[in-house]
Amino acid sequence: METAQLTTARPAPAVPARRDWSALFAYLLISPPLLVLTLLIFIPAAQAVIETLSTTDAATGQTTLTLQNYIAFFQDPILVANLEFTIQITIATVALLFVIGFPLALYLRFSKSRIAAAVQVLALFPLFVPGVILSFALIEFLGSHGMFDTMLNLIGIQGYRTPYQHLQGIVIALVWENIPFTVLILTAGLRQVEDAVVESARDVGANFWQIFTRILLPLSKRSAMIVLCLNIIGVFGAFTIPYLLGPAQPMTMGVSMQQTFNRYEDRTGALTQAVITFLFCAVVGVLYVRTITQPREGQR
Amino acid sequence: MGNIKRIAIVLLVLLIGSVVAACAGATNAPAPTSAPAAPTSAPAATNAPAATSAPAAGATPTQNAADIKPPSSGENVINMYSDDDSNIRDWLTNKIIPAFLQKFPQYKVNLISVRGVGNGPRDIADRAKAALDTNSDPLADILVFDCTTYPALRQADLWVKLDDTNVPNRKNVINSIKTSDCSQPYRGSQVLLAYDSTKVPENEVPHTFTDLLAWIKAHPGQFVYCRPDKGGSGSNFVVRAIYEVTGKDPSLFKPGDPDPALLAKFPDAWKLLRDIHSAIYDNGAYPAGNTQVQTLLANGSVSMASVWSDQSLQALQKGVYPPTIKLVQLNDLPFPGGYNYLSVPKNSRNVKGALEFINFLLEPDNQVSVVKDLGGFPAVDWSLLPKDLQQQYTSVITSNVPSWPGGKWTTELYKGWYDNVATNIKQGSP
Amino acid sequence: MSTPFTSAQTANAPVRLPPANFSKWLKAIRRDAFGILMLVALFIVIIGPMIAVILWAFTQPGGWRYPSLIPTRWGLNYWADTLMRADVTRALPLSIGLATVVTALSAAICLPAAYAFARMNFPGRQALLLSFLATNAFPRFGLYISIAIIFFRLGLIATIPGVILIQIVNTLLLMIWIPTSAFQGVDRTLEEAALDVGASRVRVFLQVTLPLVLPALAAALLLTFVSTFYEAQGALLIGIPNVITMPVLMYDIINSQPEPQYGAVISLVLWLPSLLLLLFAQRFVRGGAISAGFGV
Repeated sequence: METAQLTTARPAPAVPARRDWSALFAYLLISPPLLVLTLLIFIPAAQAVIETLSTTDAATGQTTLTLQNYIAFFQDPILVANLEFTIQITIATVALLFVIGFPLALYLRFSKSRIAAAVQVLALFPLFVPGVILSFALIEFLGSHGMFDTMLNLIGIQGYRTPYQHLQGIVIALVWENIPFTVLILTAGLRQVEDAVVESARDVGANFWQIFTRILLPLSKRSAMIVLCLNIIGVFGAFTIPYLLGPAQPMTMGVSMQQTFNRYEDRTGALTQAVITFLFCAVVGVLYVRTITQPREGQR
Repeated sequence: MGNIKRIAIVLLVLLIGSVVAACAGATNAPAPTSAPAAPTSAPAATNAPAATSAPAAGATPTQNAADIKPPSSGENVINMYSDDDSNIRDWLTNKIIPAFLQKFPQYKVNLISVRGVGNGPRDIADRAKAALDTNSDPLADILVFDCTTYPALRQADLWVKLDDTNVPNRKNVINSIKTSDCSQPYRGSQVLLAYDSTKVPENEVPHTFTDLLAWIKAHPGQFVYCRPDKGGSGSNFVVRAIYEVTGKDPSLFKPGDPDPALLAKFPDAWKLLRDIHSAIYDNGAYPAGNTQVQTLLANGSVSMASVWSDQSLQALQKGVYPPTIKLVQLNDLPFPGGYNYLSVPKNSRNVKGALEFINFLLEPDNQVSVVKDLGGFPAVDWSLLPKDLQQQYTSVITSNVPSWPGGKWTTELYKGWYDNVATNIKQGSP
Repeated sequence: MSTPFTSAQTANAPVRLPPANFSKWLKAIRRDAFGILMLVALFIVIIGPMIAVILWAFTQPGGWRYPSLIPTRWGLNYWADTLMRADVTRALPLSIGLATVVTALSAAICLPAAYAFARMNFPGRQALLLSFLATNAFPRFGLYISIAIIFFRLGLIATIPGVILIQIVNTLLLMIWIPTSAFQGVDRTLEEAALDVGASRVRVFLQVTLPLVLPALAAALLLTFVSTFYEAQGALLIGIPNVITMPVLMYDIINSQPEPQYGAVISLVLWLPSLLLLLFAQRFVRGGAISAGFGV
């Protein structure tokens, strides 16, 4: 059961020893997936970026490098509103994920009762539920005159305003969807804090809050960072849930670029939005990369 | 090691590929990637009054339906290419085709869906033209396609000329919808108003567009229409608003590039719609499709909505709507809708079979089925259908259904609506 | 109010039936009050929406109208309807087959690469490894436009190999990162001990290394299978109209049928594989292999 020990407790050697011929062999081994990656991701991505950085004069056919597309994006109040909307949703969702996820992770880390096992199953339940099904379920549950509305009515609460087609609906669904991942990673991070450390802190009379702020929080910074980064990236670029549960306007970036391409038939505009989304995520991505390339606590 | 690490990190910053999982389109791994592409960009207008507008493939400009080959071809095979919605295809597959094969057992019918693939039947038409030029098999016998939307192919004489001789039942078809001799309409659908008769007394039911707008403002939150790009019941509501400000003359709108003089009137339509925006359900929450509007009407969240006739009639039959929901059409100018047209390329390997199938669709029994099973509108004159059916649908019978040309007009419509009506940003003074 | 820490003290004793004595019973509750609170809250939030779906799936036509809390007329009408559709009975084995093939192929090309990343040193190792994160970096949507062109030139549109290829792209991240982390975590001293007593390299790999990484590999395979099964955007773009997977078919139905019952039945049918896999995968998911894969 504790395979976690094997994969995290023992330190991996800093740098594997051999070079020379094995480098060639290594390149051979990694080439199939690398080839797929290059042909189907890198090249199209590069093409897309180049397309957004240039404009072609219809008359002369001359192509020039320019930032015009990006300037146009930031000058359009509708598109900027979409960007702000996306940022709002991301902040709200990630904040809620921490507020809900941390207590859950703490509980699961330190309690071994059967209730804890049940809580864990529930917390992991959303893991494999596809976004489309989730959206459908939430519409039936949280929609106007849906099940939740009916329950409230029965106990006398009127005036229910459905979160469906509002920012709240998107946030609720995205939080629902990402709880398992958040709880998993945070719990794993907390597991790296040995029981003995906590015990000895309690032995010297520290209360819960002190243990939390002075021991647990600092030691689980790494996993918290990972959760923060990966959730921001996932939520920022989300498409399915904002598409199915969100309002007509404003749209999130993922929905907006599809709309721009499919409905307004503006291919370059859509690609520009894609690159902007990518850049936002890239900043967070660099943060993630820096976090995980640091040595783990207690190793090396 | 430290330096190497730093260089690696810097390289990663510079390298496009140095970022993390799940940005756009995918959720966090390990959560599964589940992202249906946006609905088809083909508007629900002349070609296919789509009863529902389900999310289908985002049409990439380079994907081509002409690459789709039927399982077989020949003089006993009828290959029919359709971009209809699934309920229409189900109807054809489960009801019409078996009945046809009973009457004409020598044929085999392949119904091939090209919904959401490239330009659908239009690509197949292109392929048929290419086949004509090279004397090869177009692999197509019937296209769900209105030949008038592609003048070049019509001029190239690609289509079989349809008349009362080779399609005998054509003489029963409503005259005004026979827009050409290269395509045959066989069913129609229009948008209507559906309302809850327990909440809207008969004498308050609006019969003109102006009355409707007044009713909406007087009953905030009780009316809804869906986003125009997500469902024809919404787009045709918006089109009706556009007709309202351009003199209620649909014939002004011709297929092809939008007329700038008419485009200049669009802002008046946006003003009309923006006026009622806050009176729309939930302070202007436009549902994302025909089905969602039906749900709101069915569960009592709104008392009136613009809906597709075929969808609503089916909803009443299947108990989705309570029986208190009634349907009504506007008197001054009906909501738009459209008829579905079929065309036959003249180099088809089975012109005889294709024409027999089209004729079969126009048989009275099958036209009754269009009304009863699909909730659509017949292409033949209502007077030729059983009297009791006519009585049942008196409030919605019109002899003609205006329709919108689609194409670039629709692109302007979408953008204009999203930017001016749905947005919560204050535009400049209207 | 009990805290996670005090409850840990008594955690070794499994929760028993409440004692007859009321105050003892109260104490038992309070010991795990937080847990119970969490349980109830999670139940409402997480299971609640699914209950709405389940109820709809067993409602007769017109059998559930506001303001009734539960359906008034029950029936299995929509189950027969849905399960007997030809397109459904065709799409399910297709989806399962596709997911299996994609997972197997992905494993075949990625596992050797993961071993190389974990155990061999070569120039650019870190940069290349981290570049696999890029598979999901650029918004997938923006890539599909260009990818479609490539697939057209290769004649892969609307073919099964085409769908397989596009779905493999989505699996690269998981299939490289989790196994790499697993291989990295294998204790070298164990391997060296086996080598010292004369076992061949191959034998060491098969009998020492492999068993140690198997749980993590299983987790990666599982996650890949599930995410491929539910993948819709690529399959839709490349595969239709000849290759229609279950999710593509279902997503269409869920959002386009006026009767919520159809959507509900389809949702349950679609969700069942994932539920089964979740139950099956409890071990791997909780075992920390996945967290390690993300760098925890």
